[in-house]
Amino acid sequence: MDYDFNEEQELLKNAAKGFLSKECKPLFVREMEEDTKGITDELWQKMAELGWMGLMFPEQCGGVGGSYLDLIVLLTEMGYSCLPGPFFSTVVLAGTTIMESENEEMKQKLLPEIAEGKMFVTLALTETTAGYSPDMISVKAQKDGNDFIINGTKLFVPDAHIANQIICVARTKEGEKKEDGITLFLVDANSKGIEVTSLKTFAGDKMGEVVFNNVNVSNTNVLGEIDKGWSIIKKVLQKASIGKCAEMVGGGQRALELVLEQATEREQFGVKVGSFQAVQHHCANILTYLDTSRLMTRQAAWRISEGLPCEREVSMTKAWVSDSCRNLIALSHQSVGGTGFMEEHDLQLYFRRTKAAGVYFGDADYHREIVADAIGL
Amino acid sequence: MNFEFTKEEKEFQEEVCEFIKKESTPEMLKETEDQGEIFGGPEGRKIIKKIAAKGWLTPTWPKEYGGLDASEVVSYMIREEMGYNGLPFGFVAAHMSGPTIIRFGSEEMKKAWLPRISSGEVEFALGYTEPQAGSDLSALKLRAEDKGDHFLLNGNKLFNTSCHIADYHWLAVRTDFDVPKPYKGISMMIVDLKSPGITISPLITMAGWRTNEVVYEDVRVPKENLVGEVNKGFYYLMAALDFERMFPLGIFRRLFDEIVAYAKETIIDGKPLSKKPLIRQKLAQLSIEIEVTRLLYYQLAHILDKGGIPNYQSSMEKTFATELTQRITNVGMDILGLYGQLKEDSKWAQLKGKVERYYLTSVVQTIVAGTSEIQRNIIAQRGLGLPR
Ligand SMILES: Cc1cc2nc3c(=O)[nH]c(=O)nc-3n(C[C@H](O)[C@H](O)[C@H](O)COP(=O)(O)OP(=O)(O)OC[C@H]3O[C@@H](n4cnc5c(N)ncnc54)[C@H](O)[C@@H]3O)c2cc1C
Repeated sequence: MDYDFNEEQELLKNAAKGFLSKECKPLFVREMEEDTKGITDELWQKMAELGWMGLMFPEQCGGVGGSYLDLIVLLTEMGYSCLPGPFFSTVVLAGTTIMESENEEMKQKLLPEIAEGKMFVTLALTETTAGYSPDMISVKAQKDGNDFIINGTKLFVPDAHIANQIICVARTKEGEKKEDGITLFLVDANSKGIEVTSLKTFAGDKMGEVVFNNVNVSNTNVLGEIDKGWSIIKKVLQKASIGKCAEMVGGGQRALELVLEQATEREQFGVKVGSFQAVQHHCANILTYLDTSRLMTRQAAWRISEGLPCEREVSMTKAWVSDSCRNLIALSHQSVGGTGFMEEHDLQLYFRRTKAAGVYFGDADYHREIVADAIGL
Repeated sequence: MNFEFTKEEKEFQEEVCEFIKKESTPEMLKETEDQGEIFGGPEGRKIIKKIAAKGWLTPTWPKEYGGLDASEVVSYMIREEMGYNGLPFGFVAAHMSGPTIIRFGSEEMKKAWLPRISSGEVEFALGYTEPQAGSDLSALKLRAEDKGDHFLLNGNKLFNTSCHIADYHWLAVRTDFDVPKPYKGISMMIVDLKSPGITISPLITMAGWRTNEVVYEDVRVPKENLVGEVNKGFYYLMAALDFERMFPLGIFRRLFDEIVAYAKETIIDGKPLSKKPLIRQKLAQLSIEIEVTRLLYYQLAHILDKGGIPNYQSSMEKTFATELTQRITNVGMDILGLYGQLKEDSKWAQLKGKVERYYLTSVVQTIVAGTSEIQRNIIAQRGLGLPR
């Protein structure tokens, strides 16, 4: 048993913390919530220069050759700082999809551009049913000679408004099993027939509705095998789920710090509020939610990184962390008092993001159902 | 990073389980249940001596004292498996007093006691609580007077479980009544429970098993039975409490597995219970929390194996695991419904009445070894530095 990150991962963590504390201050986070783009070119380029976009891409694709676990280190710090922008959609969702597709040509074409910060890519997966099971994929791609014609609506597509390329998860065949007959297409966002409408979200992240109206895509733009795309999406969902857990853990760490600031500075009845036992017990519960979320996230990330069976652990973790970090933030608000309800207090940033991350890629109920299957119920 | 046992550890785990299964008898399992999983009854002693002979009772101890020089991970794993397989898993001498003696005892004390403990020959009973000293152990006042060649003891202890089946009392006494800070007048000693002047009376718990009230009247204790230095006992007691504060979930994990099996096999309205959405959610949630406990539990071993000492993490594991025992048994009672109330020897009893029995037992887990509230104080104060 070894619960610790290795030395390089510790270095990466500290470097990321240092960088983000300078470049991604809470004021900037608030500005980007209002900003139509949601990211500045300047910050995006700096992140690219640090090698963050290509962290887990192979070296021959312009990457650093790091592991998924390295990425988790980074995502935790991004959650701590509420980093805005399309890192998650471009790197974690699209990057992973491209890597998992094992399509060398596409990897060579796309990953270096992503790594250099020159391209935004997103994954158009969910639809109006707003769920993550294969039977919910109804956007159709009809074969037309060497091309496919895509029709339908994708919803909650992250950063669709700035994406240069969109990976569309579409149905190419009605199979007996719902996971059969799903194909992934790389679609140029400027293609004729694509219409993107921005959605307004409570966490200030950017999501869009993407309508495909007779969009023509060549069969050379297929990622992975025709009709067999779901096996890729399954792996992407696992990595994305645990990625969101890492963000929540980072955010939870910051929330705890905000609580401790208040507990050790503010006085009522002539004593620090942190000396009240009710507050101390809230704090003990916050730390328990945080530590357990962190341990579960590390274990799941480690299993994914090592290529071990992980379906059970991933769903256990997403369920646990979604619930726990939500509880953690609620206790944080209660401990900080009225100040924490003010827009200018940073706790509200975490309150909103934690709930959004909790439902992203399946909420606790959804993942508990997967766990129920996994334990043989 | 690595969250799994090594190949050798896994093999060892299997060896331990097989050995336990081979050596377990129905009498031993029954005795263990009837006594609330403590060690000291005649059947338990038989099997524990065999386990101790393999070095498995105190695997982390040095070989010279009957250990294996093994890692904490291995030791934690054995304790978890003992619980899971229905053996006693609360050992005072081997797991609380012994490690404290290794740290603070004199060479003579180590030589005198450690081999007898690691061989499973003797068991101690925990002697901290008194009527006026529960969570606040610094208020204890069982008096030990220095009589030159021995101490003379007078006073009362309450809830001292195991005294009726153990051999010695791991006893906290007051040796100084005049210190301004009461905790500075406490000493620890080992007392033969057969000494003249000791009266042990039963207190029966709501779970059916027994704890005790113990009265000391002019009991003579030899000087060499003092642990470490006089009036430093509170530190030793705190250290022993730290060793006590870890909870192997094993026996409740076993119960959970049996509840899952019950839900799969029980058909109501033509459908197994395990297909009901609410039951699936509840059981899945428990299995997640069991996994969380596993990580918290082995985290303690990992910290120790790295050469560190768990800080607030022991309190966190103890609290999380013991509170989980109450959720497991409560869900079990709900799933069994009306059957849940039937006792072991009743017609129609399910799972041998285990659920109601553990449902009762689980109540005390969040009270002994420091209540959940005391643990949360520790987490907040030691872990987060909030004011004491
Ligand atoms: C079945 C059983 C077996 C036991 N076995 C042993 C044994 O073998 N040896 C032994 O020495 N003892 C034993 N005990 C005693 C046990 O350790 C104590 O019961 C326990 O420490 C709590 O003390 P108390 O019962 O006096 O409760 P109290 O200390 O009176 O507590 C009552 C309530 O007040 C709360 N409280 C107290 N202090 C604080 C505080 N500072 N902050 C917040 N809340 C606080 C508690 O959490 C609890 O909710 C046993 C008890 C039982 C019931």
